[in-house]
Amino acid sequence: MGKSVKILTVVMAIMIFASIYLIFAYAPMEQSMLEIQKVFYFHVSAAFTAFVAFGVNFVFSIRYIIKRKVNHDLIAVASAEIGLLFCTAVLLSGPLWARVSWNTWWEWEPRLTTTLVMWLMYIGYFILRTILTGDRRRIYSAVLGIFAGLNVPIVYHSVNIWQKASQLHPDTNTKYDMPQSMTLTLWFVFFSFLSFYALMLILQYRLAKSNLRYETIRQQHLGEM
Amino acid sequence: MRIIVLFSFLIVLGLFLMSQIPVVLTSNEVDEAVSDAIAQVESTAEKKGEAVPQIDEDEVTTAVKLAIEKLENDQKRRLKFLCAAYFVIWLAIMLYVIRIGRKQHALDLRLSQLEQDSPNSQEEPPE
Repeated sequence: MGKSVKILTVVMAIMIFASIYLIFAYAPMEQSMLEIQKVFYFHVSAAFTAFVAFGVNFVFSIRYIIKRKVNHDLIAVASAEIGLLFCTAVLLSGPLWARVSWNTWWEWEPRLTTTLVMWLMYIGYFILRTILTGDRRRIYSAVLGIFAGLNVPIVYHSVNIWQKASQLHPDTNTKYDMPQSMTLTLWFVFFSFLSFYALMLILQYRLAKSNLRYETIRQQHLGEM
Repeated sequence: MRIIVLFSFLIVLGLFLMSQIPVVLTSNEVDEAVSDAIAQVESTAEKKGEAVPQIDEDEVTTAVKLAIEKLENDQKRRLKFLCAAYFVIWLAIMLYVIRIGRKQHALDLRLSQLEQDSPNSQEEPPE
């Protein structure tokens, strides 16, 4: 393990512990939802981190299409995988929060529906990568990555785009109306998730690169035999 | 990495159990609090020279107990869902980290297999 990875691991661990302290000890209890509102900090931060991860996938998919560098494809895939992890966490924690706050597990309202569509698109991205091989796999998945990336702003702004009557989620300005301690906690948890994302991206990228190198050496080795 | 995730999960669980367990009031505590409250109402009325109100202590105690029970059940439900939400997030992260660790382990195994199969590995290293 490199020095930078070790430092990032320590920083991430400290930030995660501090996040837990901030959520349970520092942030005030929201008066209408009470304890269940504490899900908000991890739920929203996971959603923001998924957006960042899918954004990175979008950028590196474009870069791969333009430059055709394998490294760009590897970064795009690694980022999409971590984004999918966070998006799954959002989709699993959301219904548990909704059951108490809205008295329903799921509602086909704009934010939930677009998030599910986004999740399914990235599931499709990985199915595509399993089916295809070689350059075709990289090109086609990069195209799908770009297409799926365009959905991210739609998910974020879905609460503003569609009619207010059909919404259960608050609009995008709500985070500015919260008490300062809540906002601070939210941003801190988001940055601690971001540090986890960065660490996983580095590890996943290195692993994918090593796998690629192994396959190349193996092919050479088989050719020699 | 796995240890850190597991450790932090246990910390979450520990913090949750220590600080978020609802305060359960015993029947005696409720009886005592109701008696104190009624006595306080009666003494206030006496001080003001007003007629002492007739309060049925049993009825008040039953109403208070029902109210407390409802509040406690609501809180338990909220905490149960809060715990479940945090648990699924940590479970997802932990499974992902374990998956990366397994992939790394599989790669290490394949590399050592390749080294064994390599014809150069049989030869003496050049001096």
